[in-house]
Amino acid sequence: MAEGGEDRRRRWKWRKVAYGGMQPGYDDNYTDDTFLEEMVMNANVVKRDVSKLMLDSISISQYLSIVAIVCCVWTDTLRSKIDEKSLLVLDLCILALGLLTLQVSCSIGLLLRYIPNVSLFVGGLYVLAPIYQTLTRSISSDSIWALTASLLTLHVFLHDYFGTVSRSNISLNSSIVASVLIASRVPSRLHVFAIMLFSLEIFLFAPLVTNSVKNYSMKSHLCVSLTLATTALAMVFQLHGLLFVLFGCVLVFVSVACPFWLVRLQEYKFEINGPWDEAKLCFDITE
Amino acid sequence: MDEQRRHRILMVSDFFYPNFGGVENHIYSLSQCLLKLGHKVVVMTHAYGKRTGVRYMTGGLKVYYIPWKPFVMQNTLPTFYGTLPIIRTILIRERITVVHGHQAFSTLCHEALMHGRTMGYKVVFTDHSLYGFADIGSIHMNKVLQFTLADVNQAICVSHTSKENTVLRSGIPPEKVFVIPNAVDTAMFTPAKDRLSSDEIIIVIISRLVYRKGADLLVELIPEVCHKFPNVRFIVGGDGPKRVRLEEMREKHSLQDRVEMLGAVPHAQVRSVLISGHIFLNSSLTEAFCIAILEAASCGLLTVSTRVGGVPEVLPDDIVVLSEPNPINMVCAIEIAIAMLPNIDPHAMHLRMKNMYSWHDVARRTEIVYDRALRCSNENLSERLTRYLNCGAWAGKLFCLVMIVDFLIWCFLEVFQPSENIDEVPDISILGSPNEGSSQHAP
Repeated sequence: MAEGGEDRRRRWKWRKVAYGGMQPGYDDNYTDDTFLEEMVMNANVVKRDVSKLMLDSISISQYLSIVAIVCCVWTDTLRSKIDEKSLLVLDLCILALGLLTLQVSCSIGLLLRYIPNVSLFVGGLYVLAPIYQTLTRSISSDSIWALTASLLTLHVFLHDYFGTVSRSNISLNSSIVASVLIASRVPSRLHVFAIMLFSLEIFLFAPLVTNSVKNYSMKSHLCVSLTLATTALAMVFQLHGLLFVLFGCVLVFVSVACPFWLVRLQEYKFEINGPWDEAKLCFDITE
Repeated sequence: MDEQRRHRILMVSDFFYPNFGGVENHIYSLSQCLLKLGHKVVVMTHAYGKRTGVRYMTGGLKVYYIPWKPFVMQNTLPTFYGTLPIIRTILIRERITVVHGHQAFSTLCHEALMHGRTMGYKVVFTDHSLYGFADIGSIHMNKVLQFTLADVNQAICVSHTSKENTVLRSGIPPEKVFVIPNAVDTAMFTPAKDRLSSDEIIIVIISRLVYRKGADLLVELIPEVCHKFPNVRFIVGGDGPKRVRLEEMREKHSLQDRVEMLGAVPHAQVRSVLISGHIFLNSSLTEAFCIAILEAASCGLLTVSTRVGGVPEVLPDDIVVLSEPNPINMVCAIEIAIAMLPNIDPHAMHLRMKNMYSWHDVARRTEIVYDRALRCSNENLSERLTRYLNCGAWAGKLFCLVMIVDFLIWCFLEVFQPSENIDEVPDISILGSPNEGSSQHAP
């Protein structure tokens, strides 16, 4: 019987087909040598390079520095270390610097179209300043600080660090709400206007400006990042020693530890593809 | 057939008539053929609308519609232990020997297999679909499958590709997985008596119009084909969210007279639609087996299909034209098919299909799986728990916990409602004595 089976087996070669009933000489649970032959492992894995990852992570550190600077300016304003006049001067400087940088990458015509928008925006903000000032009077300051801190954390986590066109809505909104909360705690209307303008300039336009710098040249991007990081570190140091250490650690973690970590994790990558995968359409579906 | 070899099978799935689809059809046809082989078959599914309780179908097939309402996509709410009392009662009442679950995303099937194993029954599982490994849904489903398959006695897949997929997803040893394809009721799907004229070539598409069935591919493909071959006409049967897109395409390219949209086609009318065409087109993006192709081929249609999943295994190369799932290749495939048409004899193809696929053959092969399952040794709880522990660092412990609780609830039920108090159902055979039934199909 066993020999007969062997004999038949030699004559009939097993085929990977479902038709024609049971294949003579082979049970239904027969597993051929070709089993899983078409399986492909880690087909789409990108080889990652530590130095490239580090360069990419600079964008993140840079934005973290910007947020840190904003926080320091907020604290200084709340502690009345900066008066409203110098804040306004700061706003103007930032606006001019931003427009100047954008001019490098964009055409003048495009910038001219910005000007009415910007003036409308600034005017609106000035009119609304009294409302902002009394907005959260009934809420205790502790709640405001806690809320602002959590909103900023959310903002930093959800921020789109590499895009310019499509920005994360939740991230942008949380940063603006945080700005409004802070503005509602400063002493005068002009203060409110100045600090709101400052926050919005940064949160709305900083990503645009830093991206245009990055696209312009990598060297200037590195220089700007270094300047911003140093400024941020200096300002945080004045604020609090422990915070300075913490912020320094975050920067090192983001720009040095994380890239190495990501490369290390690549060896655990385990991706399986095969004939059972759903086919991908090679065209776009326009609904 | 002697009482020793006679199996008493409980088929479990959320998917059964009056719902319609591949799994429902599979369970029904398999059960009918197993009944004819002399086995006892009972089906268990959830309530469909007001249809609850026990019903009898053709050939004395007993169906339990247990009073659990489906909550999404015909699935019952996963409660883990909620179904234990009723499943236990059915298993004891019907003196079941093998529990056979169908379809990986049926919660009722998973629960029944779990309770079956807890109570020491032999369980068999049939997987009818393919899953990927990348998205969250698949990862979750694969873990559930791993849990169930960790302790089944035998598993069945409908194609070799499906077997590879199941083995990868669940880590079950390949020798425990049998490949038993679906079949087609060739008596129901016969070709048209007279040959259709070949002046006009009609391409038939019958499928749910959803993304996974490649409805978007059809939207790109149909205008191309109509433009290239002026004598081709399309008949599209089926409904779904993508129907609007197909109708838009028809308007946009003014193809109203060349593309006929039938809407949903009841299964009883599928044959009459099929025999009005020359070529059957399947555009699925993923498919474990594809019964639709079998039905078309049985009606003598030449099939053009995408080369996905288990489809290449279904038909011999001379009666199917396979193509990569993109519009350009599919137009080429249709061109090849049109060139092949004069050499196709629908009646010869029907006879071939009759020899290649039959539910009786499927039932006989499934019977072997049941025999194997019954020969597996009985294991106690601790032996089974070690297998669950191997399923993963966290998942393994979780699985063990689930099984231990199931075991405890079962012990509690044994005390609270002893099995001696549950009446056993006398066997009623509508086909006459089981011996008569089996003698017709004995080899």
